[in-house]
Amino acid sequence: MSKVKKGFVYLLFAIPVITQLYPLLWLFLYSLKTNEEILGGSFFALPKVWKWHNYIEAYKQGSYLKYLSNSVLVTVVTMVCVIILSSMVAYAISRFRWRYGNVILLIFMMGLMIPMQATLLPLMIIFKNIHILNTHLSLILPYVAFSTPIAVFILSGFMKGLPHEIEESAFVDGASVYRIFRSIIMPISIPPMMTVCILTFITIWNEYILAATFISAEKLKTLPFGVYTFVSQYSVNYGDIGAFLILGALPVILIYFILSERITKGMVAGAVKG
Amino acid sequence: MNVLKVPGRTIAVFVLPCLLLYVCLVFVPILVSFYTGLLSWDGIASAKFIGLDNFKNMFYHDPVFWPSVRRTLVYAVASMLEIPLCLLMAILLNRYVRRANSLVSIYFTPVILSVVIIGQLWKTIYNPTSMGGMLNGVLISLGLPSWAHNWLTEPNIAMFCLYFVSLWQYFGYHLLIQFTGIQNLPSEIYEAAKIDGADGFKADRYITLPLIVPIFKISVVLAFIGSLQAFDLVMVMTGGGPAHATDVISTHMYNSSFLSMKYGYGSAIATFLVIVCLIFTVIINLIFSRIEKKVG
Repeated sequence: MSKVKKGFVYLLFAIPVITQLYPLLWLFLYSLKTNEEILGGSFFALPKVWKWHNYIEAYKQGSYLKYLSNSVLVTVVTMVCVIILSSMVAYAISRFRWRYGNVILLIFMMGLMIPMQATLLPLMIIFKNIHILNTHLSLILPYVAFSTPIAVFILSGFMKGLPHEIEESAFVDGASVYRIFRSIIMPISIPPMMTVCILTFITIWNEYILAATFISAEKLKTLPFGVYTFVSQYSVNYGDIGAFLILGALPVILIYFILSERITKGMVAGAVKG
Repeated sequence: MNVLKVPGRTIAVFVLPCLLLYVCLVFVPILVSFYTGLLSWDGIASAKFIGLDNFKNMFYHDPVFWPSVRRTLVYAVASMLEIPLCLLMAILLNRYVRRANSLVSIYFTPVILSVVIIGQLWKTIYNPTSMGGMLNGVLISLGLPSWAHNWLTEPNIAMFCLYFVSLWQYFGYHLLIQFTGIQNLPSEIYEAAKIDGADGFKADRYITLPLIVPIFKISVVLAFIGSLQAFDLVMVMTGGGPAHATDVISTHMYNSSFLSMKYGYGSAIATFLVIVCLIFTVIINLIFSRIEKKVG
């Protein structure tokens, strides 16, 4: 390969690195600057003094830990429910001999095409009537429901490919269906479950609209909604806002840093199979 | 073939919890929404059944509706424009870069962030010069101060700024999908082709492109359907303003339902959105099954 061509190719790959990462880096620098520096308009300059104080201020002014723990709670409960419920259905669809397996699968598949926001208003009316509006339950229920279609699809696809001898021998030994499911099928299905976990985690952790519509109590807000309220209400110091945005992005960035290979694989699997 | 013969009760135990939850929280709301779309209702006073009047209003009398449909469609088409570029880059990455995975992971970073973070970040970038916006800063330092704009508050450019953020965020996603797709193509084909004298770009043209069509389709469906449902980014960045200049179907629905408190009318728009999504999913699948037949 000629040198010119090589240079061109590397340039082609370097440009997206800059465009995809520089805005994030810029935000990080922004979060460490004073108002004067930010308004001064020197967009690529490093802060004169690294004003870590912005982070302390942002932390004090907003309820970061509260939002974070709410997000953890909602996301973890959702993930556990999705895994248990959808693997049960997937097992029934892929292994039981009954007539309606494919119909059930089809019903779940239709959910992949339904936009979540179309259910906002009816869900709000329903939740108001059963008095769970403004509780974490009003988030967890729809989160679980909207995560199941892709989960059922991935898990049933995997389970269909398992050899039948696995169950037959256990059956002969007198194990019940429940026992087989719990001690054989669940453990074998851990790899696709990881994929489901990753997909659910990324979607639910970042979900904003349902949270903003169904939750109004400050102490129940999840991280994206919390960050949004902080940013739109607090206006004393630009640096603090930047700091709060960085704090908001931090958990998912850290997790991505540790598990990037897993996450990218999981997201592709979710896209390709969905 | 499925082997386990189990009593109906066991099947019920396995299927019903999930199915009921799913039907009650996904299907029932959609049906409720279809029905509320036929009402005149502000959520407080008792509802009045008015048949298809909401739809008539929507199609004939609502000045915001058709522009928002047009923006949604442009959004959907615009979001597909980057996919060929992603495919090209994926091909080149596979050929020239040895440890391409880490590069792809870097491109992918914006995908995992919440729209709130992305939206606020870009809002700060688009800020007017007086608030230290980066984009204007860059333009001014390049000696192009006349290009500086109040990006998100000028009605005729605000929407393009939103398209761009979407393209930016999902660039890495499409690249990753195409890249993985190419990596999964069987290498024997390329070896055989090499013996027959097809190498480099010739191999790309006659082997990679036809084989990658199904993967390409996945990207297209994701981009297109995803943008038909485009919602939270617009909500976070502009809320549909200034003066409805960035309203898409979903934000128009949201604003009608929750700001103007026209529950019936909002539901009618939601019904329209669901139907549009279903129709386009079918259309795209038909187009691609044609293409696949032709190539295969």
